[in-house]
Amino acid sequence: MTERDHTEDVRTDGGEPQTDGGESEGGAGLPANVPPDDQTPTWHDRKARTQGLSRLTYEYFERARYEDQVLRQESDYVERDVLAFPTWPHETIRNLAITSFFLGMMFFVAAALPPHLPDPADPSNTPPVILPDWYLYWSFGLLHLDPINPNLAILGGDKIVSDRVYGVLANLVVVGFIAIVPFLNKGSARRPVEEPFWGALGVAGIVFAITIAIVPIQNIVAEFIAIMTIDLLFALSFILPVVAFFIAYAVLKTMQEGYMYELNKRYYRLRPPR
Amino acid sequence: MSLEPRDETDHRAWMQERDLSPIEEGYLYGLMYLDKRLRIVDYLELMEDMYYKINLQMPKSHTEQYNLDNKFWYWYPLYSLGFFSIIAYIVAAVTGGILGFYYSPSTAEHPEYTYVAYAHVAQTIMIDLNFGSFLRSLHRWSAQIMTAAVFLHMLRVYFTGAYKEPRELNWLLGIVLISLTMVFGYTGYLLPWSQLSYWAGQIGVEMALSIPLIGEWTAQLVFGGFTLGEPTIQRMYILHVFILPFVVTALIAIHVGIVWMQGIAEPH
Repeated sequence: MTERDHTEDVRTDGGEPQTDGGESEGGAGLPANVPPDDQTPTWHDRKARTQGLSRLTYEYFERARYEDQVLRQESDYVERDVLAFPTWPHETIRNLAITSFFLGMMFFVAAALPPHLPDPADPSNTPPVILPDWYLYWSFGLLHLDPINPNLAILGGDKIVSDRVYGVLANLVVVGFIAIVPFLNKGSARRPVEEPFWGALGVAGIVFAITIAIVPIQNIVAEFIAIMTIDLLFALSFILPVVAFFIAYAVLKTMQEGYMYELNKRYYRLRPPR
Repeated sequence: MSLEPRDETDHRAWMQERDLSPIEEGYLYGLMYLDKRLRIVDYLELMEDMYYKINLQMPKSHTEQYNLDNKFWYWYPLYSLGFFSIIAYIVAAVTGGILGFYYSPSTAEHPEYTYVAYAHVAQTIMIDLNFGSFLRSLHRWSAQIMTAAVFLHMLRVYFTGAYKEPRELNWLLGIVLISLTMVFGYTGYLLPWSQLSYWAGQIGVEMALSIPLIGEWTAQLVFGGFTLGEPTIQRMYILHVFILPFVVTALIAIHVGIVWMQGIAEPH
């Protein structure tokens, strides 16, 4: 009982003693293992009495709940029961419309363009062009980086890793970089014009995904385009993304001023600074 | 004369004194029947609590606060790409389940089509089965569309900065999902055991073998050996129809659950 009186912190369970309803029978008739009800610890007491990590967890949750409560009270947002449109009929009908449209598109394409089935597998006959499905072209291109696999003079001109390992590593580096983007680029900016660097980087990435996909078939492309050589094509697959980066950066920088003015105008009109 | 104590647990009497419609009455009978046996009311309370915590008392949405509805609806097609890929995934799952009835992953000899697996695709599905050709076409196209939609979805998330704090973990989950989608496509690409399948498999084995230290072990595990054959196609089949569907479906559920919890990141 005394412990409950000492605690000053916020409670979220109401603080009422949770008893088993045996109050009216008095203390005498109770079995020995049931404490008299005024000594029965509340859930709050039980949690507050814990030790170590569970105590820390409890304290943190209490703090977090309190913080949340304060934030809600201070907020000038409108608190409502339902966010956005009602599920029925607005959202449901719109979703049904989109779903039927997508399904119809898929059925139409599937009916109009049946996929080709190549000849059965023949291990003794290597086809002239080996390519995976289109969505793996970029990855397949990264496996063909032999010309830029450095050979070190220290090792007598030998390569430090084999070309194949180098290609697999290149895949890991690309995917790894994409994975850590949120940890490099923080802040609340949402539009490319607000962050020209990251917008331009994205454009360069798309262009690189296309140019690197051409690397495995560059000898075929070189045959079709007269002025192209294989070396030039390989160099272009790294130069073009950089060019795209600078063009996109320049465009976004140019757009930025006017765009930000529009944004800020709307921002200040709707929510004047206090 | 003594008053009978009122029986609080006499639910029938309580129902008698209420004026209930047949639907309400049937519902209550069902609820009471189940509750007596399974204590479902406790769990209902938990679920109700969860439902309110998820759905209610959200602050005014960002689009409303800054009057961005026009912008948001203008870009809406880009915001439905994730949903589009889920629909394509469901279509691929349904058609794939039906195709699975008529396919067997075997490289055994076949007099006409060289391999049994190829014969199942080329003869059983595409010629003998009613609508089989369309079914295969739909399966293939929905897979292609799912992959394309997932890529475009990633670009949308990148260019609208939707991956930023507090959504980093969902971005990482998205990277895992897009990789698994491509593995899905790759394993399916090998199943007809056509010329393209075989040489794509050959590249896969070579890639696996080129991994330092654990290359040979990986090739054994994923492709069932260093040369392609019966074990390869069986492993690809089990990956494609058993392991990946469960893993990817669970991850999609978590991915969408997190989006639901955190809300959509509108541009501002």
